Amino acid sequence: MNPRLNSFKKKNLIYLVIFVLLVLLLSSLIPALRQPILNTLKYPLSLLTLIRREVGGVIFYHRNFIQVERLKKEIGLLKQKLNAENEIYLENRRLKELLHLKQESSFKVIAARVIGRSADNWSSVIIIDKGSYNGIKRGSVAITYLGLVGRVIETTASTSRLMLINDTNFAVSSIVQRSRQEGLVSGALGNSLIMKYLPQDCDIKVLDVVITSGLTDAYPKGLLIGTVIDIGEEFSGLRRYAIIKPAVNLSNIEEVLIIVP
Amino acid sequence: MRKWIFLLVIVIFSIFEITILDYFKVFGVKPDLFLICVVMVSIIFVFELRWALFLSIFAGVLKDTFSLNVFGINTLLFPLWSLLIIKLSKNILIENNFIYAALVFIIVIFHDIVTRLINLTLGNFIPLIIFLRITLIESLYTALIFPLVFKLNQPMLNYKK
Repeated sequence: MNPRLNSFKKKNLIYLVIFVLLVLLLSSLIPALRQPILNTLKYPLSLLTLIRREVGGVIFYHRNFIQVERLKKEIGLLKQKLNAENEIYLENRRLKELLHLKQESSFKVIAARVIGRSADNWSSVIIIDKGSYNGIKRGSVAITYLGLVGRVIETTASTSRLMLINDTNFAVSSIVQRSRQEGLVSGALGNSLIMKYLPQDCDIKVLDVVITSGLTDAYPKGLLIGTVIDIGEEFSGLRRYAIIKPAVNLSNIEEVLIIVP
Repeated sequence: MRKWIFLLVIVIFSIFEITILDYFKVFGVKPDLFLICVVMVSIIFVFELRWALFLSIFAGVLKDTFSLNVFGINTLLFPLWSLLIIKLSKNILIENNFIYAALVFIIVIFHDIVTRLINLTLGNFIPLIIFLRITLIESLYTALIFPLVFKLNQPMLNYKK
């Protein structure tokens, strides 16, 4: 064989090995690279989110106008309801004090703005503009005024990453508010959630409200998860499942509240 | 110069992917702009292998940064797809929107299958029905928008080095 050709092939092989090793090294360094890249891109992401919000506001002006009118009416009704509930709450507190029951500490929340989302379709993740500097810790629960949103899975100094409740890796112990039927709610990477491990004779109906059970330590009891829209039987025939429509519209959350201890 | 513009395009696409594109989801699935970048750089830098690989790795690093992977799956896979496309385009004439779209369709399917296999190995299970739904919609959606994105980037293709 031609020695020059042989040396050329050897050289190419060495280059290839070095290249593959470099790519492998880079790939293993990705988790460490996330923090600096996220911190660098935080401001362009916030800016783009702001522009999108303003442009959306102008484009959907008419829809927003009608929505505001409807919401104003709804606020009036809700204010009346809230007054009634407040009375019940005060009464409940008085009774609890009388019974010397231990008061549950009310949780502190941090408001954060959504600045980014997952880059792939295999996970349901959002990036928010508050991080460990603001007191957010890994495992903290995220909510909106409508209900449960997810939990914090990663924090940097000024940003955090939240796993939404419709991610397949998300699971929270939950109960049906009406019948107190327990189950496990997890995501399906779509617009609905699945409540699993329901026995055959479970007491669950369409339009039942599902809330957190408090069995999972991280999630306070009573956070609204969603409403049952369908009930089915597992392939094995041993258990049933329920499809739940999340209370929060996960595809367009703009702000979240992070519960901190 | 064209290479640096492309670098910027990848950064802009990555910002789009994690912000605006969520509002263009079809059945909860959005197109993969990162893979579109990889296919574009492979077609454009067909005779500059080093740059094609570098830009593919860069796109992979950015995608992995915004994903939940334990390690850089995309950093590993993107240069591989780039190499395969370059190899293919040296043997077959790819100069038609339909062929581009078909190529993107196949690449997205391959990418999703390999990603799922790696995730399964790592113990991250995604139910088959969800996988099939996402893969099919994502590949179709990405393939359909590729000619449009490619056309929008046409001035860059004609940009002199």
